[in-house]
Amino acid sequence: MRYVPLFLITLTLTFVADISTAGESVIGSVKTVKGDASIVRDGKTIPANAGEKIYAHDKFLTGNASSLGVTFRDNTLVSLGSGSEFVVNEFLFNPAESEFSFISKMFKGTISYISGKIGKLSPESVKFQTPVATIGIRGTRFLAKVEG
Amino acid sequence: MLKGIKYALLIPLAMLSFACSQKSTFVLLPDLDGAVGEITVTTEKGSTTISEPMRSTTVTGPNSAPSDQVALKEEEIQATFGEAMAAQPEPGVVFILYFKPGSKELVDSSAALINDIIRIIADRKSVDTSVVGHADTAGNEEYNKRLSTKRAEAVAGILSSKGVDTDILKITSHGENDPLIQTGDNVSNRKNRRVEVTVR
Repeated sequence: MRYVPLFLITLTLTFVADISTAGESVIGSVKTVKGDASIVRDGKTIPANAGEKIYAHDKFLTGNASSLGVTFRDNTLVSLGSGSEFVVNEFLFNPAESEFSFISKMFKGTISYISGKIGKLSPESVKFQTPVATIGIRGTRFLAKVEG
Repeated sequence: MLKGIKYALLIPLAMLSFACSQKSTFVLLPDLDGAVGEITVTTEKGSTTISEPMRSTTVTGPNSAPSDQVALKEEEIQATFGEAMAAQPEPGVVFILYFKPGSKELVDSSAALINDIIRIIADRKSVDTSVVGHADTAGNEEYNKRLSTKRAEAVAGILSSKGVDTDILKITSHGENDPLIQTGDNVSNRKNRRVEVTVR
């Protein structure tokens, strides 16, 4: 009996691994960088240079006196101030099939968030989270600060 | 093995408890076009909807409700968020190119915009430019799906022939389902036969 759950766990893990590598598509790009900014992707940390393409699950980090601005494929504009940590957990922009999702989380720091087409076409698909709250939007443009 | 699983479960729990102190503040601003949307801030203990610009709410922890809304002054917003706001990228530039009926051939006035598109791609060092094809409702849906795809590919082909790296182009098509001008079925419409290019 004990082997059954283990077998299922193995199956599940394999399945998840397949999803995370299959069909990874570009969701936007880095446009502005000041100071020390980086992206954590698949466990590796790379510099966040202007012109760097970005993908779902990327985590963005900024150091002291640093900032970072990115555009997303649905025209959402996100920019971070110093000492920030922000991750895009889910991004799906497929208007032809009416498939939308933009789920992101801010762990610390400051952010300016200007929502794009997903926010217009399907506001309920946009979720912005912090460790203590979840934001739903209609429109829109907002600022958030999370104390680390 | 079981021990490993136990520890794996403990890690997210530890992260949750660490997260408990992270006070969050939210401020609504007018959109870039001046319109004002809404944000709804929700915790397990309650929620508040801000629909007036420059107003804020604070959540002190996961077991707190969002605070009463507070109006902020411009200077207060700048002091806290100026750095993040200054890093805001420019919004994308949108070009709308029109086509001859039933054709993937651009009308002359739109063909004249191609050089502008190329210039903006270079100015912005764009690595993410969308090329989205559309059709009007003349002809059946399947035909228009193919036609809108051909139009997007034609524009991408022109850009590529003038030196734009195709790796930066994201080509998609919406057929007749996303008209600029709403019409009935089987209506030829000049403004709906289009490709939208967004340079980011």
